[in-house]
Amino acid sequence: MKNVLVYVQHKGGQTPKVTFEMATQARKLADQLGGKAHALVVGAGSSQLAESLKAYPLDAIYVNDDADVDKYLLDPVIDYLEAAAKAIGPSLVLVANTLTGKDVAGRLVARLNAGICADAVDFKLEGGKVVAVMPKMGGAAITNCELLDGDYGVVTIRPNAFAAQPGGAGAAVQAIEKPAGKSYGVLVEKDVEEGSGELALEEAPVVVAGGRGLGGPEPFDTLLKPLASALGGAVGASRAAADAGWVPYSLQIGQTGKTVSPSLYIAVGISGAIQHKVGMRSSGTIVAINKDGQSPIAEFSDLVVVGDAFAIVPELTKLVQAAKS
Amino acid sequence: MKIVVTVKLVPDPNAEKRIDNGTKRLVRTGVETVLNPYDEYALEAALQLKEKAGGDTTVTVFSMAPESLKETLRKALAMGADDAVLLSDAGLEGSDVWASSYAISHALKKVGFDLLIVGGLSDDGSTGATPGGLAEYLQAPLVTNARKAEIVDGKLKIERETDTGYQDVTAPLPCVMTTALTFGEPRYASLKGIMGAKKKTIAAMSVSDLGLSHAVGQSGSKTQLLSFAPPPVRGKGQVIEAADGASGAKAIFDFLKERKLV
Repeated sequence: MKNVLVYVQHKGGQTPKVTFEMATQARKLADQLGGKAHALVVGAGSSQLAESLKAYPLDAIYVNDDADVDKYLLDPVIDYLEAAAKAIGPSLVLVANTLTGKDVAGRLVARLNAGICADAVDFKLEGGKVVAVMPKMGGAAITNCELLDGDYGVVTIRPNAFAAQPGGAGAAVQAIEKPAGKSYGVLVEKDVEEGSGELALEEAPVVVAGGRGLGGPEPFDTLLKPLASALGGAVGASRAAADAGWVPYSLQIGQTGKTVSPSLYIAVGISGAIQHKVGMRSSGTIVAINKDGQSPIAEFSDLVVVGDAFAIVPELTKLVQAAKS
Repeated sequence: MKIVVTVKLVPDPNAEKRIDNGTKRLVRTGVETVLNPYDEYALEAALQLKEKAGGDTTVTVFSMAPESLKETLRKALAMGADDAVLLSDAGLEGSDVWASSYAISHALKKVGFDLLIVGGLSDDGSTGATPGGLAEYLQAPLVTNARKAEIVDGKLKIERETDTGYQDVTAPLPCVMTTALTFGEPRYASLKGIMGAKKKTIAAMSVSDLGLSHAVGQSGSKTQLLSFAPPPVRGKGQVIEAADGASGAKAIFDFLKERKLV
Protein backbone atom coordinates (compact mmCIF):
# COMPACT_ATOMS: atom_id res chain seq x y z
CA MET A 1 0.00 0.00 0.00
CA LYS A 2 1.74 3.12 -1.20
CA ASN A 3 -0.84 5.32 -2.80
CA VAL A 4 -4.10 6.67 -1.47
CA LEU A 5 -7.42 6.76 -3.32
CA VAL A 6 -10.37 8.80 -2.02
CA TYR A 7 -13.88 7.80 -3.09
CA VAL A 8 -15.88 11.01 -3.45
CA GLN A 9 -19.52 10.40 -2.59
CA HIS A 10 -21.82 13.03 -4.09
CA LYS A 11 -25.15 13.69 -5.71
CA GLY A 12 -25.20 16.01 -8.69
CA GLY A 13 -21.90 17.51 -7.57
CA GLN A 14 -23.02 18.11 -3.97
CA THR A 15 -20.67 16.35 -1.55
CA PRO A 16 -20.53 16.17 2.24
CA LYS A 17 -17.77 18.00 4.09
CA VAL A 18 -16.04 14.71 4.93
CA THR A 19 -14.85 14.53 1.29
CA PHE A 20 -12.56 17.52 1.88
CA GLU A 21 -11.44 16.08 5.21
CA MET A 22 -10.45 12.87 3.40
CA ALA A 23 -8.69 14.76 0.60
CA THR A 24 -6.58 16.56 3.20
CA GLN A 25 -5.82 13.38 5.11
CA ALA A 26 -5.02 11.49 1.87
CA ARG A 27 -2.11 13.86 1.21
CA LYS A 28 -0.64 13.25 4.67
CA LEU A 29 -0.99 9.49 4.35
CA ALA A 30 0.45 9.44 0.82
CA ASP A 31 3.46 11.48 1.94
CA GLN A 32 4.10 9.11 4.81
CA LEU A 33 3.71 6.05 2.59
CA GLY A 34 5.79 7.56 -0.18
CA GLY A 35 3.05 7.49 -2.80
CA LYS A 36 0.49 9.72 -4.43
CA ALA A 37 -2.95 10.97 -3.40
CA HIS A 38 -5.82 10.42 -5.82
CA ALA A 39 -9.57 10.90 -5.84
CA LEU A 40 -12.35 9.34 -7.90
CA VAL A 41 -15.48 11.34 -8.75
CA VAL A 42 -18.11 9.69 -10.96
CA GLY A 43 -21.74 10.43 -11.87
CA ALA A 44 -23.59 13.54 -12.98
CA GLY A 45 -21.97 16.77 -11.77
CA SER A 46 -18.52 15.22 -11.30
CA SER A 47 -16.55 17.59 -13.53
CA GLN A 48 -17.90 20.58 -11.65
CA LEU A 49 -17.14 19.00 -8.26
CA ALA A 50 -13.61 18.08 -9.40
CA GLU A 51 -12.94 21.79 -9.94
CA SER A 52 -13.65 22.59 -6.27
CA LEU A 53 -11.66 19.52 -5.15
CA LYS A 54 -8.61 20.94 -6.93
CA ALA A 55 -8.19 23.37 -4.05
CA TYR A 56 -7.16 20.39 -1.87
CA PRO A 57 -3.70 18.82 -1.90
CA LEU A 58 -4.32 15.87 -4.25
CA ASP A 59 -2.12 14.71 -7.12
CA ALA A 60 -4.82 13.52 -9.48
CA ILE A 61 -8.61 13.48 -9.68
CA TYR A 62 -10.26 10.85 -11.90
CA VAL A 63 -13.56 11.99 -13.33
CA ASN A 64 -16.45 10.62 -15.38
CA ASP A 65 -19.88 12.26 -15.62
CA ASP A 66 -21.40 8.85 -16.50
CA ALA A 67 -25.20 8.96 -16.03
CA ASP A 68 -25.33 5.20 -15.29
CA VAL A 69 -23.82 5.93 -11.87
CA ASP A 70 -27.05 7.61 -10.81
CA LYS A 71 -29.34 5.30 -12.76
CA TYR A 72 -28.15 2.07 -11.14
CA LEU A 73 -27.54 1.46 -7.46
CA LEU A 74 -23.85 1.40 -6.60
CA ASP A 75 -22.71 -1.30 -9.07
CA PRO A 76 -21.14 1.18 -11.54
CA VAL A 77 -19.33 2.96 -8.68
CA ILE A 78 -17.70 -0.27 -7.52
CA ASP A 79 -16.52 -1.02 -11.05
CA TYR A 80 -15.00 2.45 -11.41
CA LEU A 81 -13.30 2.16 -8.04
CA GLU A 82 -11.89 -1.23 -8.88
CA ALA A 83 -10.60 0.10 -12.21
CA ALA A 84 -9.07 3.19 -10.56
CA ALA A 85 -7.46 1.15 -7.78
CA LYS A 86 -5.95 -1.30 -10.27
CA ALA A 87 -4.69 1.56 -12.47
CA ILE A 88 -3.04 3.30 -9.52
CA GLY A 89 -1.58 0.11 -8.07
CA PRO A 90 -1.33 -0.95 -4.43
CA SER A 91 -3.27 1.60 -2.44
CA LEU A 92 -5.23 2.54 0.59
CA VAL A 93 -8.82 3.44 -0.31
CA LEU A 94 -10.56 6.03 1.87
CA VAL A 95 -14.36 6.03 1.98
CA ALA A 96 -16.67 8.17 4.15
CA ASN A 97 -18.36 6.25 6.95
CA THR A 98 -21.85 7.09 5.68
CA LEU A 99 -24.68 4.76 4.64
CA THR A 100 -23.41 4.75 1.04
CA GLY A 101 -19.78 4.58 2.15
CA LYS A 102 -20.37 1.43 4.21
CA ASP A 103 -21.88 -0.33 1.18
CA VAL A 104 -19.02 0.79 -1.05
CA ALA A 105 -16.36 -0.23 1.45
CA GLY A 106 -17.87 -3.68 2.07
CA ARG A 107 -17.94 -4.50 -1.59
CA LEU A 108 -14.39 -3.25 -2.15
CA VAL A 109 -13.16 -5.56 0.61
CA ALA A 110 -14.18 -8.52 -1.52
CA ARG A 111 -13.41 -6.95 -4.90
CA LEU A 112 -9.85 -5.95 -3.96
CA ASN A 113 -9.21 -8.78 -1.48
CA ALA A 114 -8.54 -6.10 1.09
CA GLY A 115 -8.64 -5.68 4.83
CA ILE A 116 -10.92 -3.03 6.26
CA CYS A 117 -10.83 -0.71 9.26
CA ALA A 118 -14.14 1.05 9.83
CA ASP A 119 -15.00 4.41 11.36
CA ALA A 120 -11.44 5.69 11.77
CA VAL A 121 -10.85 8.88 13.75
CA ASP A 122 -7.04 8.87 13.54
CA PHE A 123 -4.09 7.12 11.88
CA LYS A 124 -0.72 5.98 13.14
CA LEU A 125 1.84 5.16 10.53
CA GLU A 126 4.96 3.41 11.68
CA GLY A 127 7.56 1.88 9.37
CA GLY A 128 5.18 1.73 6.43
CA LYS A 129 2.44 0.06 8.48
CA VAL A 130 -1.02 1.57 8.43
CA VAL A 131 -2.78 1.56 11.80
CA ALA A 132 -6.26 3.04 12.17
CA VAL A 133 -7.67 4.28 15.47
CA MET A 134 -11.37 3.57 15.90
CA PRO A 135 -13.91 3.92 18.68
CA LYS A 136 -15.95 0.71 18.99
CA MET A 137 -19.01 -0.44 20.91
CA GLY A 138 -20.49 3.00 21.11
CA GLY A 139 -17.27 4.52 22.37
CA ALA A 140 -16.78 2.01 25.21
CA ALA A 141 -13.48 0.96 23.63
CA ILE A 142 -10.81 2.60 21.50
CA THR A 143 -9.14 0.12 19.18
CA ASN A 144 -5.95 0.29 17.16
CA CYS A 145 -6.11 -1.97 14.14
CA GLU A 146 -3.40 -2.67 11.61
CA LEU A 147 -3.98 -3.30 7.92
CA LEU A 148 -1.69 -6.27 7.28
CA ASP A 149 0.54 -6.48 4.22
CA GLY A 150 -1.44 -6.71 1.06
CA ASP A 151 -1.92 -4.73 -2.10
CA TYR A 152 -5.04 -2.95 -0.96
CA GLY A 153 -6.66 -1.73 2.22
CA VAL A 154 -9.94 0.05 2.84
CA VAL A 155 -10.62 2.53 5.66
CA THR A 156 -13.92 4.27 6.30
CA ILE A 157 -13.56 7.72 7.80
CA ARG A 158 -15.76 9.21 10.50
CA PRO A 159 -17.03 12.66 9.47
CA ASN A 160 -15.71 15.54 11.56
CA ALA A 161 -12.70 13.61 12.87
CA PHE A 162 -10.08 15.08 10.50
CA ALA A 163 -9.40 18.68 9.51
CA ALA A 164 -10.11 19.91 5.97
CA GLN A 165 -7.29 22.16 4.77
CA PRO A 166 -7.06 23.49 1.21
CA GLY A 167 -3.58 23.68 -0.28
CA GLY A 168 -1.27 22.09 -2.83
CA ALA A 169 -0.47 22.96 -6.39
CA GLY A 170 -3.81 21.88 -7.83
CA ALA A 171 -4.50 18.31 -8.87
CA ALA A 172 -4.54 17.11 -12.45
CA VAL A 173 -8.13 16.34 -13.47
CA GLN A 174 -8.14 13.24 -15.66
CA ALA A 175 -10.96 11.42 -17.41
CA ILE A 176 -11.38 7.79 -16.40
CA GLU A 177 -12.81 5.37 -18.93
CA LYS A 178 -16.04 3.54 -18.23
CA PRO A 179 -15.24 -0.10 -17.38
CA ALA A 180 -16.29 -2.13 -20.41
CA GLY A 181 -18.73 -4.98 -20.80
CA LYS A 182 -20.78 -4.52 -17.65
CA SER A 183 -24.53 -4.78 -17.19
CA TYR A 184 -26.24 -3.58 -14.06
CA GLY A 185 -29.22 -5.10 -12.29
CA VAL A 186 -30.46 -2.75 -9.61
CA LEU A 187 -32.42 0.11 -11.10
CA VAL A 188 -33.04 3.34 -9.17
CA GLU A 189 -36.63 4.28 -10.01
CA LYS A 190 -37.07 7.22 -7.71
CA ASP A 191 -34.54 9.31 -5.80
CA VAL A 192 -35.90 11.78 -3.26
CA GLU A 193 -33.96 14.38 -1.27
CA GLU A 194 -35.31 15.21 2.17
CA GLY A 195 -34.39 18.09 4.45
CA SER A 196 -31.99 19.50 1.87
CA GLY A 197 -30.32 22.75 2.84
CA GLU A 198 -30.12 21.64 6.47
CA LEU A 199 -26.80 20.68 7.95
CA ALA A 200 -26.48 16.90 8.30
CA LEU A 201 -26.39 15.87 11.94
CA GLU A 202 -23.24 13.73 11.61
CA GLU A 203 -21.38 16.58 9.93
CA ALA A 204 -22.38 19.42 12.22
CA PRO A 205 -19.57 20.94 14.31
CA VAL A 206 -22.13 21.75 17.02
CA VAL A 207 -25.18 19.69 18.02
CA VAL A 208 -27.95 21.00 20.25
CA ALA A 209 -30.07 18.01 21.29
CA GLY A 210 -33.34 17.83 23.18
CA GLY A 211 -35.02 15.09 25.18
CA ARG A 212 -38.04 14.20 27.24
CA GLY A 213 -37.51 17.31 29.39
CA LEU A 214 -38.71 19.50 26.53
CA GLY A 215 -42.22 18.14 26.92
CA GLY A 216 -43.34 18.34 23.29
CA PRO A 217 -42.41 19.05 19.67
CA GLU A 218 -42.58 22.88 19.71
CA PRO A 219 -39.45 23.60 21.80
CA PHE A 220 -37.31 21.85 19.16
CA ASP A 221 -38.24 24.63 16.74
CA THR A 222 -38.67 27.57 19.09
CA LEU A 223 -35.96 26.85 21.66
CA LEU A 224 -33.25 24.60 20.17
CA LYS A 225 -33.22 25.64 16.52
CA PRO A 226 -32.34 29.31 17.20
CA LEU A 227 -29.45 28.26 19.47
CA ALA A 228 -28.21 25.69 16.96
CA SER A 229 -28.36 28.28 14.16
CA ALA A 230 -26.51 30.85 16.24
CA LEU A 231 -23.76 28.29 16.93
CA GLY A 232 -23.69 27.12 13.31
CA GLY A 233 -24.89 23.66 14.28
CA ALA A 234 -27.76 21.22 13.96
CA VAL A 235 -30.62 20.00 16.17
CA GLY A 236 -30.68 16.43 17.45
CA ALA A 237 -32.85 14.43 19.84
CA SER A 238 -32.89 11.56 22.28
CA ARG A 239 -34.79 8.36 21.61
CA ALA A 240 -37.53 9.40 24.03
CA ALA A 241 -38.23 12.49 21.91
CA ALA A 242 -38.21 10.51 18.66
CA ASP A 243 -40.39 7.71 20.12
CA ALA A 244 -42.89 10.33 21.31
CA GLY A 245 -43.14 11.56 17.71
CA TRP A 246 -41.85 15.05 18.55
CA VAL A 247 -39.11 14.84 15.92
CA PRO A 248 -38.42 12.50 12.97
CA TYR A 249 -36.21 9.46 13.65
CA SER A 250 -33.57 11.00 11.39
CA LEU A 251 -32.71 13.33 14.30
CA GLN A 252 -32.31 10.57 16.86
CA ILE A 253 -28.87 10.23 18.43
CA GLY A 254 -27.87 7.04 20.20
CA GLN A 255 -27.55 3.32 19.87
CA THR A 256 -30.46 2.87 17.47
CA GLY A 257 -29.95 6.30 15.92
CA LYS A 258 -27.00 8.31 14.76
CA THR A 259 -23.52 8.59 16.20
CA VAL A 260 -22.19 12.12 16.37
CA SER A 261 -18.92 13.59 17.57
CA PRO A 262 -19.14 17.36 17.20
CA SER A 263 -16.71 19.69 18.92
CA LEU A 264 -19.60 20.93 21.08
CA TYR A 265 -22.64 18.95 22.22
CA ILE A 266 -25.36 20.69 24.20
CA ALA A 267 -27.89 18.31 25.78
CA VAL A 268 -31.13 19.98 26.80
CA GLY A 269 -33.52 18.03 29.02
CA ILE A 270 -31.78 14.71 28.25
CA SER A 271 -31.25 12.32 31.15
CA GLY A 272 -28.33 10.56 29.45
CA ALA A 273 -29.34 6.89 29.40
CA ILE A 274 -26.72 4.45 28.07
CA GLN A 275 -28.63 4.23 24.78
CA HIS A 276 -28.10 7.97 24.24
CA LYS A 277 -24.60 8.12 25.68
CA VAL A 278 -23.13 5.71 23.13
CA GLY A 279 -24.20 8.00 20.30
CA MET A 280 -22.52 11.16 21.56
CA ARG A 281 -19.93 10.51 24.23
CA SER A 282 -16.97 11.06 21.91
CA SER A 283 -18.04 14.69 21.39
CA GLY A 284 -15.36 17.29 22.16
CA THR A 285 -17.11 19.28 24.86
CA ILE A 286 -20.40 18.23 26.43
CA VAL A 287 -22.69 20.74 28.15
CA ALA A 288 -25.92 19.62 29.81
CA ILE A 289 -28.84 21.79 30.81
CA ASN A 290 -31.05 19.80 33.13
CA LYS A 291 -33.50 20.20 36.00
CA ASP A 292 -31.83 17.37 37.85
CA GLY A 293 -28.13 17.64 38.69
CA GLN A 294 -28.10 13.93 39.61
CA SER A 295 -29.23 12.57 36.23
CA PRO A 296 -26.82 10.18 34.48
CA ILE A 297 -25.73 12.80 31.94
CA ALA A 298 -23.91 14.65 34.72
CA GLU A 299 -21.47 11.71 34.87
CA PHE A 300 -20.01 12.43 31.44
CA SER A 301 -20.63 16.15 30.88
CA ASP A 302 -17.94 18.82 31.11
CA LEU A 303 -20.45 21.33 32.41
CA VAL A 304 -23.88 20.73 33.92
CA VAL A 305 -26.14 23.70 34.48
CA VAL A 306 -29.03 22.81 36.76
CA GLY A 307 -31.99 25.01 35.96
CA ASP A 308 -34.92 25.75 33.69
CA ALA A 309 -33.97 25.16 30.06
CA PHE A 310 -36.89 27.30 28.89
CA ALA A 311 -35.33 30.29 30.66
CA ILE A 312 -31.65 29.52 30.01
CA VAL A 313 -31.63 28.60 26.31
CA PRO A 314 -33.15 31.86 24.93
CA GLU A 315 -30.71 33.92 27.02
CA LEU A 316 -27.80 31.81 25.80
CA THR A 317 -28.96 32.24 22.20
CA LYS A 318 -28.94 36.02 22.69
CA LEU A 319 -25.40 35.96 24.13
CA VAL A 320 -24.10 33.85 21.23
CA GLN A 321 -25.82 36.06 18.66
CA ALA A 322 -24.41 39.20 20.30
CA ALA A 323 -20.90 37.73 20.33
CA LYS A 324 -21.15 36.97 16.63
CA SER A 325 -22.23 40.43 15.49
CA MET B 1 -39.05 -18.83 -2.22
CA LYS B 2 -36.22 -19.46 0.21
CA ILE B 3 -35.33 -16.54 2.46
CA VAL B 4 -32.16 -16.74 4.54
CA VAL B 5 -31.43 -14.31 7.37
CA THR B 6 -27.97 -13.98 8.85
CA VAL B 7 -27.80 -13.27 12.58
CA LYS B 8 -24.83 -12.42 14.70
CA LEU B 9 -24.65 -13.22 18.39
CA VAL B 10 -23.38 -10.24 20.39
CA PRO B 11 -23.00 -9.16 24.03
CA ASP B 12 -26.24 -7.62 25.30
CA PRO B 13 -26.24 -4.04 23.94
CA ASN B 14 -28.25 -2.80 26.92
CA ALA B 15 -25.49 -3.76 29.32
CA GLU B 16 -22.86 -1.14 30.10
CA LYS B 17 -19.66 -2.25 28.35
CA ARG B 18 -16.46 -2.21 30.31
CA ILE B 19 -12.90 -3.08 29.36
CA ASP B 20 -10.80 -4.85 31.96
CA ASN B 21 -7.69 -2.75 32.39
CA GLY B 22 -5.54 -5.79 33.11
CA THR B 23 -6.59 -8.17 30.32
CA LYS B 24 -7.64 -5.39 27.87
CA ARG B 25 -10.65 -7.52 27.03
CA LEU B 26 -14.34 -6.88 27.26
CA VAL B 27 -15.72 -7.87 30.63
CA ARG B 28 -18.24 -10.56 29.74
CA THR B 29 -19.10 -11.63 33.25
CA GLY B 30 -22.79 -11.04 33.79
CA VAL B 31 -23.27 -9.91 30.19
CA GLU B 32 -25.67 -12.13 28.29
CA THR B 33 -25.20 -13.05 24.61
CA VAL B 34 -28.17 -12.08 22.48
CA LEU B 35 -29.21 -11.79 18.83
CA ASN B 36 -27.69 -8.64 17.34
CA PRO B 37 -30.64 -6.20 17.57
CA TYR B 38 -30.17 -5.04 13.96
CA ASP B 39 -30.55 -8.65 12.82
CA GLU B 40 -33.91 -8.93 14.59
CA TYR B 41 -35.15 -6.27 12.17
CA ALA B 42 -33.80 -8.35 9.29
CA LEU B 43 -35.67 -11.38 10.64
CA GLU B 44 -38.85 -9.32 11.04
CA ALA B 45 -38.57 -8.30 7.37
CA ALA B 46 -38.15 -11.94 6.36
CA LEU B 47 -41.17 -13.05 8.38
CA GLN B 48 -43.33 -10.28 6.91
CA LEU B 49 -42.30 -11.23 3.37
CA LYS B 50 -43.04 -14.88 4.12
CA GLU B 51 -46.50 -14.02 5.45
CA LYS B 52 -47.29 -12.01 2.33
CA ALA B 53 -45.90 -14.59 -0.07
CA GLY B 54 -47.47 -17.61 1.64
CA GLY B 55 -47.18 -20.92 -0.20
CA ASP B 56 -43.90 -22.73 0.17
CA THR B 57 -41.84 -19.71 1.28
CA THR B 58 -39.44 -20.58 4.09
CA VAL B 59 -37.19 -18.59 6.40
CA THR B 60 -33.82 -20.06 7.42
CA VAL B 61 -31.61 -18.39 10.00
CA PHE B 62 -27.85 -18.59 9.53
CA SER B 63 -25.20 -17.76 12.09
CA MET B 64 -21.45 -18.10 12.51
CA ALA B 65 -20.78 -18.59 16.20
CA PRO B 66 -19.26 -21.01 18.72
CA GLU B 67 -21.33 -24.16 19.18
CA SER B 68 -21.83 -23.23 22.83
CA LEU B 69 -24.10 -20.37 21.76
CA LYS B 70 -26.39 -22.63 19.75
CA GLU B 71 -29.37 -22.23 22.09
CA THR B 72 -29.35 -18.43 21.63
CA LEU B 73 -30.51 -19.13 18.07
CA ARG B 74 -33.75 -20.61 19.44
CA LYS B 75 -35.02 -17.09 19.92
CA ALA B 76 -34.96 -16.56 16.15
CA LEU B 77 -36.79 -19.85 15.68
CA ALA B 78 -39.30 -18.82 18.35
CA MET B 79 -39.96 -15.57 16.48
CA GLY B 80 -40.99 -17.66 13.49
CA ALA B 81 -38.01 -18.84 11.43
CA ASP B 82 -38.46 -22.38 10.11
CA ASP B 83 -34.97 -23.71 10.73
CA ALA B 84 -31.40 -22.64 11.38
CA VAL B 85 -27.85 -23.36 10.24
CA LEU B 86 -24.92 -22.78 12.58
CA LEU B 87 -21.39 -22.50 11.21
CA SER B 88 -19.02 -23.27 14.09
CA ASP B 89 -15.33 -23.93 13.95
CA ALA B 90 -12.40 -23.12 16.19
CA GLY B 91 -10.57 -22.25 12.96
CA LEU B 92 -12.85 -19.26 12.45
CA GLU B 93 -11.83 -17.52 15.65
CA GLY B 94 -10.27 -14.14 15.10
CA SER B 95 -11.68 -13.78 11.57
CA ASP B 96 -11.86 -10.15 10.46
CA VAL B 97 -14.45 -8.67 8.08
CA TRP B 98 -12.70 -10.02 5.00
CA ALA B 99 -12.29 -13.54 6.40
CA SER B 100 -15.83 -13.63 7.83
CA SER B 101 -17.39 -12.45 4.57
CA TYR B 102 -15.36 -15.02 2.68
CA ALA B 103 -16.28 -17.92 4.98
CA ILE B 104 -19.95 -16.97 5.41
CA SER B 105 -20.48 -16.46 1.68
CA HIS B 106 -19.18 -19.96 0.97
CA ALA B 107 -21.49 -21.39 3.61
CA LEU B 108 -24.45 -19.48 2.16
CA LYS B 109 -23.71 -20.84 -1.30
CA LYS B 110 -24.20 -24.32 0.19
CA VAL B 111 -27.36 -23.29 2.05
CA GLY B 112 -28.79 -21.58 -1.07
CA PHE B 113 -31.27 -18.69 -1.13
CA ASP B 114 -33.51 -16.55 -3.29
CA LEU B 115 -33.32 -13.63 -0.91
CA LEU B 116 -30.62 -13.09 1.71
CA ILE B 117 -31.46 -10.53 4.41
CA VAL B 118 -28.69 -9.14 6.60
CA GLY B 119 -28.92 -6.66 9.47
CA GLY B 120 -27.52 -3.25 8.62
CA LEU B 121 -24.91 -3.23 11.39
CA SER B 122 -23.66 -5.35 14.21
CA ASP B 123 -23.88 -3.95 17.67
CA ASP B 124 -20.32 -4.90 18.62
CA GLY B 125 -17.98 -4.52 15.65
CA SER B 126 -20.09 -2.02 13.70
CA THR B 127 -18.20 -1.91 10.44
CA GLY B 128 -21.35 -2.26 8.34
CA ALA B 129 -19.13 -3.77 5.65
CA THR B 130 -20.15 -7.43 5.81
CA PRO B 131 -23.29 -7.20 3.63
CA GLY B 132 -21.22 -5.69 0.81
CA GLY B 133 -18.57 -8.36 1.16
CA LEU B 134 -21.19 -11.12 1.08
CA ALA B 135 -22.91 -9.70 -2.00
CA GLU B 136 -19.63 -9.57 -3.91
CA TYR B 137 -18.61 -13.12 -3.05
CA LEU B 138 -22.11 -14.39 -3.79
CA GLN B 139 -22.17 -12.38 -7.02
CA ALA B 140 -25.62 -11.15 -6.10
CA PRO B 141 -27.01 -7.61 -6.27
CA LEU B 142 -27.01 -5.66 -3.01
CA VAL B 143 -29.83 -3.39 -1.85
CA THR B 144 -29.34 -1.79 1.55
CA ASN B 145 -31.25 0.09 4.27
CA ALA B 146 -34.70 -1.10 3.20
CA ARG B 147 -37.63 0.35 5.11
CA LYS B 148 -40.28 -1.30 2.90
CA ALA B 149 -39.95 -4.38 0.72
CA GLU B 150 -42.17 -6.48 -1.50
CA ILE B 151 -41.80 -9.15 -4.12
CA VAL B 152 -43.46 -8.16 -7.39
CA ASP B 153 -43.33 -10.42 -10.47
CA GLY B 154 -40.33 -12.28 -9.10
CA LYS B 155 -38.38 -9.09 -8.38
CA LEU B 156 -37.61 -7.33 -5.13
CA LYS B 157 -38.93 -3.78 -4.88
CA ILE B 158 -37.75 -1.74 -1.94
CA GLU B 159 -37.93 1.73 -0.52
CA ARG B 160 -34.51 2.45 0.97
CA GLU B 161 -33.03 5.16 3.15
CA THR B 162 -30.12 7.11 1.74
CA ASP B 163 -27.77 9.64 3.28
CA THR B 164 -29.94 12.48 1.99
CA GLY B 165 -33.46 11.04 1.68
CA TYR B 166 -34.87 7.86 0.15
CA GLN B 167 -34.97 5.86 -3.08
CA ASP B 168 -37.21 3.29 -4.74
CA VAL B 169 -35.18 0.52 -6.34
CA THR B 170 -35.89 -2.81 -8.02
CA ALA B 171 -33.53 -5.76 -7.94
CA PRO B 172 -33.64 -9.17 -9.59
CA LEU B 173 -33.55 -12.31 -7.40
CA PRO B 174 -31.48 -13.84 -5.95
CA CYS B 175 -30.25 -10.79 -4.12
CA VAL B 176 -28.91 -9.51 -0.81
CA MET B 177 -30.91 -6.97 1.20
CA THR B 178 -30.21 -5.14 4.44
CA THR B 179 -32.88 -3.56 6.60
CA ALA B 180 -33.14 -0.13 8.23
CA LEU B 181 -34.54 0.19 11.74
CA THR B 182 -37.56 1.95 10.25
CA PHE B 183 -38.67 -1.36 8.69
CA GLY B 184 -40.69 -2.05 11.83
CA GLU B 185 -40.17 -3.27 15.36
CA PRO B 186 -39.27 -6.96 15.55
CA ARG B 187 -42.07 -9.12 16.89
CA TYR B 188 -42.00 -10.85 20.24
CA ALA B 189 -41.86 -14.61 20.33
CA SER B 190 -45.25 -16.03 21.34
CA LEU B 191 -45.51 -18.83 23.89
CA LYS B 192 -46.54 -21.14 21.05
CA GLY B 193 -43.50 -19.97 19.10
CA ILE B 194 -41.19 -20.67 22.01
CA MET B 195 -42.61 -24.17 22.48
CA GLY B 196 -42.45 -24.87 18.74
CA ALA B 197 -38.84 -23.66 18.49
CA LYS B 198 -37.66 -26.54 20.65
CA LYS B 199 -38.55 -28.99 17.88
CA LYS B 200 -37.01 -27.03 15.01
CA THR B 201 -33.72 -28.09 13.41
CA ILE B 202 -30.41 -26.31 13.90
CA ALA B 203 -28.08 -27.86 11.33
CA ALA B 204 -24.34 -27.77 11.97
CA MET B 205 -21.65 -26.75 9.48
CA SER B 206 -17.91 -26.49 9.88
CA VAL B 207 -15.06 -25.05 7.82
CA SER B 208 -14.32 -28.43 6.21
CA ASP B 209 -17.79 -28.32 4.61
CA LEU B 210 -17.04 -25.08 2.79
CA GLY B 211 -14.28 -25.95 0.31
CA LEU B 212 -12.30 -22.78 0.98
CA SER B 213 -9.15 -21.99 -0.95
CA HIS B 214 -7.88 -19.35 1.47
CA ALA B 215 -7.19 -19.53 5.19
CA VAL B 216 -9.68 -17.94 7.58
CA GLY B 217 -9.49 -17.11 11.27
CA GLN B 218 -6.78 -14.76 12.51
CA SER B 219 -4.14 -16.35 10.25
CA GLY B 220 -6.20 -15.68 7.14
CA SER B 221 -7.26 -12.19 8.13
CA LYS B 222 -6.07 -8.99 6.53
CA THR B 223 -6.22 -6.87 9.65
CA GLN B 224 -4.93 -7.33 13.15
CA LEU B 225 -6.29 -5.78 16.31
CA LEU B 226 -3.33 -4.27 18.14
CA SER B 227 -5.05 -2.77 21.13
CA PHE B 228 -8.46 -2.56 22.70
CA ALA B 229 -8.66 -0.08 25.54
CA PRO B 230 -11.16 2.01 27.43
CA PRO B 231 -11.42 5.60 26.17
CA PRO B 232 -9.60 8.33 28.10
CA VAL B 233 -11.56 9.04 31.24
CA ARG B 234 -13.68 12.12 30.93
CA GLY B 235 -13.38 13.77 34.30
CA LYS B 236 -16.62 14.57 36.00
CA GLY B 237 -17.33 18.15 35.05
CA GLN B 238 -18.45 21.22 36.88
CA VAL B 239 -22.02 21.42 38.16
CA ILE B 240 -23.57 24.87 38.46
CA GLU B 241 -26.97 25.67 39.94
CA ALA B 242 -28.59 28.41 37.89
CA ALA B 243 -30.68 30.86 39.90
CA ASP B 244 -32.36 32.17 36.75
CA GLY B 245 -32.13 32.00 32.96
CA ALA B 246 -29.66 34.84 32.59
CA SER B 247 -27.15 33.49 35.12
CA GLY B 248 -27.38 29.96 33.71
CA ALA B 249 -26.82 31.30 30.19
CA LYS B 250 -23.89 33.42 31.36
CA ALA B 251 -22.24 30.40 33.02
CA ILE B 252 -22.48 28.38 29.80
CA PHE B 253 -21.38 31.28 27.60
CA ASP B 254 -18.27 31.97 29.73
CA PHE B 255 -17.40 28.28 29.73
CA LEU B 256 -17.70 28.09 25.92
CA LYS B 257 -15.63 31.24 25.54
CA GLU B 258 -12.89 29.83 27.73
CA ARG B 259 -12.79 26.76 25.47
CA LYS B 260 -12.89 28.96 22.36
CA LEU B 261 -16.16 27.37 21.24
CA VAL B 262 -17.89 30.71 20.62
